[in-house]
Amino acid sequence: MTSRDASPRPQLPTDPAGGPPTRGRRSGRGAGRCLVVPLLLLVLSALAATAAADASDTESGLQKDDSPECMRCHWMETMAYRDRATRKIVDLSIDRDAYRHSVHDELACRDCHDRRYKHYPHRVSSAEEGLSCVGCHEKHQEDSDHSPPNLAGLDQEYQHSVHALEADEPFSCFSCHDPHSFRPLPNDTPVPQVVAANNGLCLDCHTELLTPVPEGHDWLPRPQAHWSSVRCLDCHTPLEGRDLYAPSHQILSAAESNQNCVECHSRDGELLAQLYVHRAEQEREQKGFFSHAVYNDAYIIGMSRSPIIDRIGLAIVVLMILGIGAHGYGRYLAHKRKQRETS
Amino acid sequence: MTTLYLYPVWLRAWHWLNALLFLTSLVTGISMHFSLGGLIPFDVAVPVHNTSGILLTVSWALFLVGNAFGGNGKHYLINLRTLPMDLYRQARYYVYGIFVNAPHPFHVSVGNKLNALQALSYIGVMYGLMPLLIVSGWAFLFSAELPETIFGFGTIWVVAMAHLLLAWMMLLFLVVHVYIITTGETPTTNLKAMITGWHREHDDGPAAARGARGRYG
Repeated sequence: MTSRDASPRPQLPTDPAGGPPTRGRRSGRGAGRCLVVPLLLLVLSALAATAAADASDTESGLQKDDSPECMRCHWMETMAYRDRATRKIVDLSIDRDAYRHSVHDELACRDCHDRRYKHYPHRVSSAEEGLSCVGCHEKHQEDSDHSPPNLAGLDQEYQHSVHALEADEPFSCFSCHDPHSFRPLPNDTPVPQVVAANNGLCLDCHTELLTPVPEGHDWLPRPQAHWSSVRCLDCHTPLEGRDLYAPSHQILSAAESNQNCVECHSRDGELLAQLYVHRAEQEREQKGFFSHAVYNDAYIIGMSRSPIIDRIGLAIVVLMILGIGAHGYGRYLAHKRKQRETS
Repeated sequence: MTTLYLYPVWLRAWHWLNALLFLTSLVTGISMHFSLGGLIPFDVAVPVHNTSGILLTVSWALFLVGNAFGGNGKHYLINLRTLPMDLYRQARYYVYGIFVNAPHPFHVSVGNKLNALQALSYIGVMYGLMPLLIVSGWAFLFSAELPETIFGFGTIWVVAMAHLLLAWMMLLFLVVHVYIITTGETPTTNLKAMITGWHREHDDGPAAARGARGRYG
């Protein structure tokens, strides 16, 4: 199963290596909303609004410990500032609804953010916290009540990805995944929705590809049709060692990516079985036995293609038709002869 | 004029329904296989192909039921003792006798309406190719339940190739079948029989010589 952020809301990505705060992958989206908010007005309005919203936060990590203190300010959509270095807007707001639906809902703010947040506004150094998804998940592997998935394998893959090796800007888990809204899609999610969600992650940053003939993809016939049916990952991750339910995080560079049509559209292409089973399984879970059978759209053009069988089959059928034509002509001549004889 | 009632209503209805479903599966399958979106749009061809395939399964089951309880099954019982000679006579007629206006070696009767070649080919198609085609089609639909590999190959590929091969063989059968039915007394004698149920032959035709059960008009 694939995963994606459940919410399109912005976030505060932080370099896991402990570097300075970096801009979010969507941080530019909030530009112009709010540049400078008077602190006093902000706090007062936060106090009033949070009191009303608290009732809906029962059992959420946002209710635990001193999280309500944090949310007094961070619930506001306008909670943002312009980074002096990059001149871009850094969004600091937390969508409570998205958080409650995320896999991290049980976590209080301080379970992750535990460095010097006592001062208002927080010091820049406070954000220099070494947030590490991999480390945190590993640390809690032995938890009896709720053991998070081990991300070590994904991290190894990521370390070899083009994002880790060649990214122009600091890149981390948070560049793609928002921990405040992250939730894997359920298994019964329709295939087109899974594809759209996955590809949305890539296209949120790679906006240069949102053109009729995307750069670097001009070799690909009908790119829009492909993108609505196939995940970017299906071509941009290595063929070897694929796991249907844990897409590789080793994103390949354009040069290394799969551009071989027959990997999908051919007899025993590496991608074919994976794509087909993936789609067929999801459709069945989604729709039930007969509906799955009727509306099964897992067929991939070319998967049944066999030039040898097709050529032999076509040759035999054509020869048969020619033979039938000759046979029919012979019968016609015999019929004419019989008519002449009887007359 | 000799008239035999060979095909009861249920049999004719099944035959033409089966033909319709088979042709639908064939055309949509060709469209999908060769990516002929101009023939039938891909997103239409796939659900139609799946549906006609499922209905073809039902149709095949009805064929079994009809043979078991409708009395049609006896036509597929082969006399192995006389089979070689019957086949030889029938084949010889198609490759030679038919061109010299020789009498048809097989005489249709209510109790025996299929010649040896017909019976053998129909048995092969309906009890051999068709169930395999159906099984491979369902295997496509539920491939997620199958093992990843079979005989050392990817299961989906094996299923796809089997389905393709069987489809070609069925197409070949269809071509031959459509032609062979024109080899009756007149080119349309057999076609009309499968439409009306009545097999008609002139008294100087092969049916007159057999002395079998029948109605004479």
